[in-house]
This record gives sequence, C-alpha cells and structure tokens, in this order.
Amino acid sequence: MTTTDAPPPTAVGTSRPPADRTGDRPPRRDSGIVDAFSHVFLVAWAVLTTFPLLWAVVSSFKTDEQILTDPWGLPSALRWSNWVRAWNAAHIGTYFVNSVIVVAGSLTLTMLLGSMAAYVLARYRFRGNRVAYFLFVGGMMFPVFLALVPLFFVVKNLGLLGTLPGLMLVYTAYSLPFTVFFLTAVFRALPNSISEAALVDGCGHFGLFFRVMLPMARAGLLSVAIFNFLSHWNQYVLPIVLMQGQGAEQRWVLAQGLTGLAITEGYRGDYGALFAGMTIAMLPVLLAYVAFHRQVQSGLTAGQLK
Amino acid sequence: MSAPSASDSSVSRRDLLQRATAAGVLAATGGGVLSACAMGGGGGNDKAAGGAKNSANPLGVSESAPLEVVIFNGGFGEEYAKAHEAMYKERYPKAEVKHSATIEISKTLQPRFVDGSPPDVVNNSGGNQIDFNGLVSQGALSDLAPLLDAPSLDDPKKTVRQTLLPGALLPGTYDGKTMALNYTYTAYGIWYSGKLLADRGWQYPKTWDEMIALCRQIKAAGLAPWTYQGKHPRYMSWPILSAAAKLAGPDILVAIDNLEPNAWKHDAIKTAAEAYYQLAVDGYILPGSEGMDHIQSQTEWCRGNAVFISCGSWLENEQKAVAPAGFQMAVAPTPSLTKGDKLPFEAMRGTSGEPFIVPSKAKNVPGGLEYLRVMLSRKGAADFTKRVSSLTAVQGAEEGLTLPPGLQSATKVMKASGDKTFNWVYNSYYRKLERTLVDAACGDLMTKRINPAQFVEQCQRGADEIARDSSIKKYKRT
Amino acid sequence: MRHGKRLFIATFLVPPLVLYALFVVSPYVQVFQLATTDWGGLSPEAHFVGVDNLRRLFADHYVWNALRNNAILLVVMPVVTIVLGLFFASMLMVGGRRGRAGVRGVRGSAVYRLVYFFPQVLSVAIIGVLWKEMYAPNSGLINGALRAVGLGSLAHPWLGDPNLAFWCVLAVMVWSNVGFYVVLFGAGMQSIPRDIYEAALLDGAGRAATLARITLPLLWDTVQVAWVYLAIVALDGFALVQIITEGGPGLRTDVIGLRLYSTAFGEAKFGYASAIGVAMLFLTLSVAVLALRLTKRDRVEL
Repeated sequence: MTTTDAPPPTAVGTSRPPADRTGDRPPRRDSGIVDAFSHVFLVAWAVLTTFPLLWAVVSSFKTDEQILTDPWGLPSALRWSNWVRAWNAAHIGTYFVNSVIVVAGSLTLTMLLGSMAAYVLARYRFRGNRVAYFLFVGGMMFPVFLALVPLFFVVKNLGLLGTLPGLMLVYTAYSLPFTVFFLTAVFRALPNSISEAALVDGCGHFGLFFRVMLPMARAGLLSVAIFNFLSHWNQYVLPIVLMQGQGAEQRWVLAQGLTGLAITEGYRGDYGALFAGMTIAMLPVLLAYVAFHRQVQSGLTAGQLK
Repeated sequence: MSAPSASDSSVSRRDLLQRATAAGVLAATGGGVLSACAMGGGGGNDKAAGGAKNSANPLGVSESAPLEVVIFNGGFGEEYAKAHEAMYKERYPKAEVKHSATIEISKTLQPRFVDGSPPDVVNNSGGNQIDFNGLVSQGALSDLAPLLDAPSLDDPKKTVRQTLLPGALLPGTYDGKTMALNYTYTAYGIWYSGKLLADRGWQYPKTWDEMIALCRQIKAAGLAPWTYQGKHPRYMSWPILSAAAKLAGPDILVAIDNLEPNAWKHDAIKTAAEAYYQLAVDGYILPGSEGMDHIQSQTEWCRGNAVFISCGSWLENEQKAVAPAGFQMAVAPTPSLTKGDKLPFEAMRGTSGEPFIVPSKAKNVPGGLEYLRVMLSRKGAADFTKRVSSLTAVQGAEEGLTLPPGLQSATKVMKASGDKTFNWVYNSYYRKLERTLVDAACGDLMTKRINPAQFVEQCQRGADEIARDSSIKKYKRT
Repeated sequence: MRHGKRLFIATFLVPPLVLYALFVVSPYVQVFQLATTDWGGLSPEAHFVGVDNLRRLFADHYVWNALRNNAILLVVMPVVTIVLGLFFASMLMVGGRRGRAGVRGVRGSAVYRLVYFFPQVLSVAIIGVLWKEMYAPNSGLINGALRAVGLGSLAHPWLGDPNLAFWCVLAVMVWSNVGFYVVLFGAGMQSIPRDIYEAALLDGAGRAATLARITLPLLWDTVQVAWVYLAIVALDGFALVQIITEGGPGLRTDVIGLRLYSTAFGEAKFGYASAIGVAMLFLTLSVAVLALRLTKRDRVEL
C-alpha cells in the first residue's frame, strides 16, 4: 500500500555523509586506466539521466514546427509564450497551487498523526498495541490500486470526492503505514531515562511528547517528512481516481494536470505548451533537491542520522 | 540525541517485513468488520416539475427549470455549445443554464451517474467516453423518442425525426430505441491534398489496381504513398470494412454488427484486408507510422511526407493549425476492389457521430430533450457547422454556408454517395471490440506481423469473445 | 495517573486509527464484498453473483496477458535495477582503487550521485509524459539522437513495435529507479570497513571478485529489501504504462493495474474489477512471502 514510487527510506547501516573520504590524496598512476574505464560508464549513465530532462527544458522554448521536425536542434529563440500558455491556458499554474495546498495539508497531518500513533505504539504498553501496530504496518504490503474501486466510493459517500481536503485525508491515510513503521523504530530508540525524569518532573504525557520526545526525534522526523513530501507531491494514482466529478478539474493537482495536458495535446497539438508544462512541473522539485540533496538522499536512504 | 542503532534496525527489518506480511494476510482474509456497502447512492429524485405539454411546448419544458450541460472538450472545443446554450436561454429566459466542458467525460461523470445526480445533457464523446453498452444496459439513459416525434423548431409540420439525414439515428439506437443523438455527420474515406495531386499530375485512383500503380509512382517520386495513425491502427479498419462492404454489399456489415458467427471471415473482408496489406508488403507506408499517434501521423501527412491517410471528416478541424495554406484537403471513397463490386465507387461510409445523451436520472429531462431540439434546429445546426467545420445530422443545414475545402469535398462525395451510403455500428454497441480487439489486429496487419487470413481470424476471435461474454448486453439491427 | 495515561493513549491513537480504518482498511475489506457482485457502477443496482467473477477471471486471457507482463517485470526489472545499482555504486565507492589509501571512490562521485538521483524526485506523471515524447518516432529525442550521429538505421518506432514497446516501458522503470539504489547501496558500502577491501586487494582479488565475495554478502540485507520494494513497483506499473502506452500496441504492454482500472472506469464493470483486485491481493501476498523465503540467507555479521 505504498503511495509512492520512491522506495521508502530504509535503515541502512551507515552514518557517514557521502563523500570521498580520501579524495585529498593524489591517485597513483596505475589507477588512471581504471579510473577512465569507470568514468566512461558513469558519464554514460549521467548523460542518460540528464539529457531527457534537459531536452524537455530546451523543447519548451521551441515552436511546434521545430519540436516535430528537429528533436535534436536548439530553439531559435526563447519562446516564453509557451510557458505563458501552459501556465494560463493549460491551468498549470492553478494545478501548481493546488498541489502546494494539498501537500502542505497532507504532510502536516501525516507527520502529526503518524508521530502520535508511532509514539504511543512505541512507548506505551496496553492491550491491542501489537494488533494496532501490525494493522498499520501490514498496509505497506499492497499497491494502492488494489483498493481503488471501493476507495472511490468511500470518498464519494463522505462527500469528499473531487475536493482538496478529501485528497489530503486520503494521502495521509495511505502514508500512515510507512510513517508509523519508521517512527515507531525512532521513538523506541529514545532513551528511557529522559522520559522518566521528565515525568517525575511533573511533565504530563502530552508535554513529554511535544516538548521532549518530538525534538529528540527531529532527525527521524525529517527523514520521514522528506520521504512523504516527495510521495505526496508526485502522487498520481490517487488524484486521477479521486479528483473526479463536477468541477473537479479546477482542483486538479500538478501530476494529473500534466497528463491532462498530454491528452489535450492529442486534440490541439500544442507541443510547446506540453513541454513548458512539464518543465514548470519539474523544475521546482529539481531545484529544491539540488539545494538540499544531502538531506534528501540521506533522508530517503539512510534514515538514521547522528 | 540518538536514533535506532544499526544493529537494532537491521535485525528488525527483515522481521518486520515478515510480520507485516502476516498482518497483511490477516487483514486480507479475516476482514468483514468494516464492510460498509459502497453502492449506496441513489438519491437525486428531486426532479424539476415539468411544464404543461402543448403544441408550443411539446416536450413539457418547465420555463424556469435550470439546465446543466456537460460538453466533451475535444476537437470541436466548447464554444459551439455556448452558442446552443444561448439559443436555449433565448427561448427560456428564466432558466439558468449551467455549462461545463471536460476532456475526461468518464471520470467527470461516472460518480454522478452512480450518485443518481447526472447532468441534463452530456456530449459523451472522446477517448474517455462512458461505455454505451454499460449506460444503456444499466438503464442510465432517457429514450429520445419524445424528442424525435416532437415537431421541429423550423417547420411544425415536420417531426424532428424527419429533419435528420437518413441513417443518422442508427448509431445510438439500441434494440429499436434511440438512446443517444449523434449530432455530427461524418464522411469516412481516404484523404489527400488536392494541391499535391494536382501539382504532380496524379489522379485519385478509382480501383485498387490503380491505387497500387499510383503508389509505385509516388514512391518513385520519393514520397511515402500512405501513412496511418499507428497508435490507433483501428483507423485502417475503416477503409478495409468500407472496401469489403462495397465489394459484397452492406449486408456483411449487418452481420458484423449482429455478431453473427463467422461474419468477419467473409471473403470480401479478407480480400479487402489483402488489398491494404499490400501497402505494407510493398513498403508504401511512411516508415515509423506505427509509432505515431494520430496527431503525429496526420501532421506528417499535412507536411506532404505521405500522400494518403484514412480518416473521418473531423480531420480538417483537427489539423487546422498545422495544414499549410492552399493544401486543399480532400476526401474520396475507397477505391473499388474489383470491377464486379456490388456498390459503385462513389459509395462510402457516412455516419453520425458525437453522441449527445439525456441521462434518465437527470433533474430536467424535458429541458435536456428541448436542448437537443434547439441543437437540431436549422439555426443551431448551421451555427455548429460554421464554427467547427463539421456537417450535422440535420438535412441541408449547411446550405448557403461557405465551407472550408475539406468539408466542401466531404459534402460533395457524400452527395455522390447518396443512398448507397453505408455504415456500421458495432463500435458503439461493443466499444471494446473496435477499440481494443480489431485495433490490435489492424496494428498487426499493417506491420506485417499477421497476414490477411490471420487478420480476419483474429477479428473473428474478438467478436466471438464478445458474443460469448454474458456480462455484455447484445443488440441487433437490420 | 493511570487514567491520564489511558486518555492520552486514546487521544493519540484513535484519530490516526479512524482515518486509517476509513480510507485504507475498509476499502480493502470492501473489495471482497464488491467482488461477489455484478455491479456496473452506473446505477445503484447490483446482484450477488457469488464466485462467478472469479471463475470469469480464470478464463479471462486479458487478465492472464496482463499478469504475464507483470511477472516479467517482477523478474527482470528488480534484477536489472539492482545489478546496475550495485555496479554504479561500487564504481563510485571503490572504483578508484590502488590509491595510497587503498580503496576509494572515483573523482566526482558526489556529482554523479547528485545527478543519478534526479529521476527519483520526479513525479511518475512527468517521467511518463517525458518518455512518451522521447520515444516518438520522428519528434523524439532517441531517434533524433540516433540520426544525428549517423545511426539512423537503428531508429525504431519504439512504442509502436509490439516486440519492443514492453521493453521500452521496462527501461523507463529501470531508468527511474537505478539512481536511488546507487545511493542506497553506496551508503551501505561506505559502512563496510576499508581494511576488508584492502585485505582482499592484498590477496589479489579482482574487481568482480571483490564485488561478488565481499560487497554483495555484506550488503545482502539491503539488496533483499531493495528487491521487495522493486517487486511492489513491478506489480503496480499502472501509472507508467497508462501514461506511456495505455497498454498498447494490442495490449502487449498491459499490466494488471491498468486492466483493473479500465475494467472499472472504462467498461463500467466495478464488480468484476473488484474481483481482479481480490485476486491481486492474494498474489501480492504470495509474492511477498516468496520473496522473503527466497532471499533468506545468513547474514554476514561484522
């Protein structure tokens, strides 16, 4: 029941920031050939990952004529009009704002509810603790599409179909399994001595959680938050099924709006706007990633920070 | 500050996956506690009170009842509908008319059908239309008989039915009941650039032998004779079925529509498939066509890289941004396969399209029907033709209008075809048969992965499969 | 205090549980109920049909066709992704060997890792739409690049070729996932003490031998988890396939998720679509169980 295509962070045994630890020493000569050999493959894959993205950006400035006839060529001018058409006429701007609203809401809710549940499950003994825990964690095993049909009607019967709050709640619900799984491990590892001391000091359960435990779990929370952010921002299946019904088109999110644009292109043939829309959808996430790549990478993979 | 230690998490990770799996098994098998019925819905019986029926108001429209129209926002856009809505509003100034348009008809409206609160008029078209077989068999549509038997807006002596082109109601009629009004009228044929042919001194071929001979010439001239909408290869099933119907008479199409045993295995269909297969065998198809979608291949054609393409008369509107000036888009019937064809060269497929429906659970069914009556008035139809360069199902509504070249050509060949015009409707009875099964067979045929004998075999298998499927309602026509 | 604790547990646990039960657990449970009906989804009317849907399912060769594609994805996609991931990660981490310090990463490895990770942060919608255009026969970058370097004869109508289309989609899945595993495995490799490698070096172990005999066993746990996550991606595949090929040409790239979706929302057969969902639930579970069994292997303790 993962809601994302990105695999969740896993607790892998590392604690070091990724870096060349011995990079300051000059390599000896016989490593040159080997280095060159490695670099050929590494560069090839780097080209493979970046060129399609660059191509989309470059194509977003071309005319339809150039796009259709000269995929390899450069645009003759920076045609921002494609971007304007995508932003306004194709409503990419609206979808962008919708995505921001939904993700802000769902991420907050996921982190709040997820850490609440995880904390209680990790640090309190009570009947049903294990049942609740495995009920949550069991959800990680299934792709979300298996339950699409009834989910659609659950949301519809609640009157939440095609609404942003509905989407927030569903994102949150489907993020709970991993969030609870991960944060339970984090909370379990926090030392008992501190919590006991805090309780003795007259700090209530609520105070203990909000003032002591949450700050202590900061690093773990950050990992999960980054993971959830990406999976909510990039979610595709849930919005295409749930953002339906009258007027829902004004409340579409970015991923959905983009495929909508790709379909419209089949009727209107506006390739320039399609590539511009793609670029608009892609750039903010890529830039945010480049700025925070350490945190994102270790957030998604390492999961344990010192 | 600390986090789960390395040993802690690496020991438990595998464990956790295991236990999670176990929990999954439990949840999947032991459930039942929370099973609340999803199929609720069914509200929405608050129908608008109808007005009194009389000769001025034959459908009993309530003057003040609001009307909601949802339009498929595809090749024709949505402006034409706003014009129709304005005409409706002119007749019923007190009625509030709500308009919306979408490319995703099915996703937009499915929930409202289940909910029992669909809009009053829907243009259920496009790649994501709602399956008609499902709509009709689940009783979701109003019978349009009251509309068709009402007097037309232009001439009270004629019923709406009498103002329509012959055969216009065939698609959309299920077991004798007309449940959908197909508003446009489309000529299906082979398209070419009048300018290109004239410049090169080529003649549109009337027989298949001439077609092959011309293809040879075209190829020698360095052009590709044909292209097709490779990602939607069903476009090639149209000339094949047309050519077959001309060879053996339109009865073979009735057999196909009625899912009769071995309907697809008729010799004529195989002969026609052989003819078009020849294009692939002799290399007369633009390389790469099979990987192009309709816009890409039609754009190649507009750019003069290929000479012929199979399409319906919406082509001109679809390509208007791309087609160069002076292109002189023109359409012609499929070339005759033999000298002894049952139908003359002029005969071609003409069909109504763009189905408009009035859901049975709509709040304002009379208003929905009245809206269709407004659309079918001469004024409504002429306005549509002017705006989107497409003919309508209304007889003679295009007269007196200046039509663009492609539409002029379509009107001319349709006139020449006259009462020899034929049609098939299996695609609206059984959407999947055309959209998936025949589509796949055409793709294989045009890329030479199967031969014509295997092609008819594969189509027949698809038809048999539909015939056997008890969950699909079957329809017959004559 | 006891009372306060109970109240605390309830306030913290009940809201997430309610939300979860409502949107996650109840749909999965309802799938079972709907699967026994012939409900069409366009009217509230439905009839109980028992196991008819399941029976139909076993005879439905479209479902089998989709399943076969999922099965191929399940086997090939994780293997290719993991192999590439390990390969690049070991290049980055220990590619530049025989420095004075013995084993180390190649120059610029941080940049590579930055770039490789790009697809991971992009929405599957962007990836799908982008690659659909990449593969276009005349306007796509792939054929354009091939023609530009004089390899025009290798240009293909990629997604239009039934023998290639499926592999094209699979390639996109690999493309979008490799970066993540490079970083994941790379992080794992960094925690392996350098002296183990240096010892292997002294023993004259080659690059491949080091990878197979040292790195892989030590990373086995991570690889195993990677496999499970990739398996879940492979069983899904819905979004990419729907965007890139819509299952075509001729259903050759169909996957079970798309089948379920188009049965429900395209053919208006919600009951039958739910039956497909039920069958898939069990299949997913079996795969998960099987995966854990197959990858069972003693971990090397450090």
